Amino acid sequence: MAILSRQRRRSRALMIIILLLPSLLVFFLYRGVPIVWNLVLSFEKWNFVDTPKFVGLGNYAKMFSDPIFWESFKNTVLYFFGGSPIAIILALGLSLLVNKPLKGRNVYRALIFLPYPITPVAIAIIWKWLYDDKVGLINFILRSLGLTKQGIGFLSNFSWALPSVIFTTIWQVLGYFVIIMLSGLQTIPDELYESAGLDGASAARRLWSITLPLIRPTVFLCFIVGIINSFTTFDVIYVMTNGGPGHATEILVTYIYKNAFTYNEIGAAAAMTLFMFLFLLLITAVSNKISGGEAGGVNYYE
Amino acid sequence: MKRKMQWVVFVAVALSLSAATVWAGGQGEAASGQGPKSITVLTWNLPHYADSINGWISEFQGANKGVTVTWVDKKGTELPTYYQTQLAAGTPPDIVDIQGALWYQYAKDGIFMDLSPYFQKDADMKTRFEPNILKAASMYQGKYYMVPFYTPSTVLFYNKPMFKAAGITSPPTTMEELVADAKKLTHGNVSGFITLNFDWLYWPLFRANGVEILNSDGTKAAFNTPAAVQTLKTLTQLTSSGVISKVSWTGRWVEPNGEFGAGNAAMLNAHLPALKAFESQSTWANDQTVGVAPFPGKWSVPNYHGFGIASKSKFPDVAWNFVKLITNEKWAKNAASVLGTLSGNSAADTSLISDPQFAKDNPVVAESFKVDLSEAGNLTGITGTAKDAQVKDAVYSNIQKALFGQVSAEKALSDAEAAVNQILAGQ
Repeated sequence: MAILSRQRRRSRALMIIILLLPSLLVFFLYRGVPIVWNLVLSFEKWNFVDTPKFVGLGNYAKMFSDPIFWESFKNTVLYFFGGSPIAIILALGLSLLVNKPLKGRNVYRALIFLPYPITPVAIAIIWKWLYDDKVGLINFILRSLGLTKQGIGFLSNFSWALPSVIFTTIWQVLGYFVIIMLSGLQTIPDELYESAGLDGASAARRLWSITLPLIRPTVFLCFIVGIINSFTTFDVIYVMTNGGPGHATEILVTYIYKNAFTYNEIGAAAAMTLFMFLFLLLITAVSNKISGGEAGGVNYYE
Repeated sequence: MKRKMQWVVFVAVALSLSAATVWAGGQGEAASGQGPKSITVLTWNLPHYADSINGWISEFQGANKGVTVTWVDKKGTELPTYYQTQLAAGTPPDIVDIQGALWYQYAKDGIFMDLSPYFQKDADMKTRFEPNILKAASMYQGKYYMVPFYTPSTVLFYNKPMFKAAGITSPPTTMEELVADAKKLTHGNVSGFITLNFDWLYWPLFRANGVEILNSDGTKAAFNTPAAVQTLKTLTQLTSSGVISKVSWTGRWVEPNGEFGAGNAAMLNAHLPALKAFESQSTWANDQTVGVAPFPGKWSVPNYHGFGIASKSKFPDVAWNFVKLITNEKWAKNAASVLGTLSGNSAADTSLISDPQFAKDNPVVAESFKVDLSEAGNLTGITGTAKDAQVKDAVYSNIQKALFGQVSAEKALSDAEAAVNQILAGQ
């Protein structure tokens, strides 16, 4: 009997391995190999043709002494903290609104979600036009209202450029966050609200004591998506500003691209990519820790 | 057991067949000198030139039996990335059309073949090009790496009706005149002057005031001078007052051409391909209303296209012969007339310039050719360094800070100088 069960367990394990193997193979080829190859390249100088030369920590030393690298790192952090928390708060507010039995709420939901499926390049082009200081709609409105005489160069002004790009990203990602938040809100059992209502809890109290704690995993997910977005958003910035003016909107990923494909500094680009990867891991781990571990997971009846 | 045996035999046969195929492929490659020859040519954003390119290919294949030419075209923004991935994969195209100064790095790294022996062998190839153009388009550290394909450089386009309305009778010939005219032409939403800024195209503004980018041996920055500080201060002041359109320092290609085409700027410093770009989106621009003149001091920045041959090409002689064919007088004339820029081939360009029909059909283009040729001895914006892209970025990003009032002109140039010297020291 025991032998049979061992045999069964073994064949089951074999079946699991066989079923997982194609996915694991693809993952290994498309994720594992590039990560390892990137790690190797970060210690080398390579011109795409000759055998790469080992340069030890040379690329890292260069990276840490490069002021533009630090500027783009600072911009990336600002891009995240300036964008994601606002987007999450707005998304929470909107999702609470459209979660109510309002008339035509599906229309509102669709309208809020609408920007998300638009390709980032199209979004960048639309917003570039909206921000234009001569023919842009925003400046037209500001001028018409008498709020400004001269158009504001939202994307050419060193102070305005990054906030303008962040605003565009919030607009783009808001609908997606609302959908995630809505799905989180809909998993909260109604009886919790009903019993809180019977106990005389106010709406604010219900929000504070039931909704917010129970959608912690959803907020955590939005937070992580926001972090990943801010470290990997390329198209919007590349099209809207290409990192300019100066390096005012340069973020790590655009600077990595320039190093790799404009300056032909593949080793430096690989070192920066590894830095970004490790930083992302670190802040994801810290976020997980802060949200109580288990990706912010909660037990409704604890 | 029997089933297992069948599997083993099947795998062994499959492996043997694969090995045989790979071996045969290797043998084929080894014997390629005698077999069919195939080369690939990669061009930069030329889908509109497809008829001519197919003409090159059919003429070459007709004259060289057993040779196959494959054409690949990529957009300007995609080509460098595409080319680098092909290099990394070990399958670079035999011939590649490169714009601007990107090729210095390829020459330095040995990605492009040193074509000096070929130029030596085919004396005609050296003499067919205008000497200044050939030098600027082809030479890196005393060796030839490129063959000029089409060779536009910057000129000054101007809006004739605006000049007339402002009472200006001729285009400016000095920087003082340019500034005075630009101020006179500025009104409402209209700026007096606008420039393209990528690939050093704005540099005539500095060079006309005696500012060089690097020292003569290309080892140090040479632009941090009192004249440069004064130039930058003037440009900043003119930009903040709207005499120079801000788009000069924020746009790249579409935006400045759009501004000039829309009639929001009176003068445009740009290279010849800009003519078609702004004409296509303009209601005012035509052969009677667009003027073209040399930039003050006749300073001009080349933005040439040329062909490099991969050092790893299996058929370098075939590639060279193909490049020879497509840059001969016939095809150069075709390139100049279809693409609307000089070809660099002296016979082709002079023949077009002196062709009354061409001048009648394309008066602005014909005039641009004359202006471009007259400036060929005064080229600027050439660093000659493999780190051109980084130098360019270091200079421009700092200058931009001064132009938008973030830092003083002195600080911008001093920071740019430090950055450039660091880049050049690390070569």
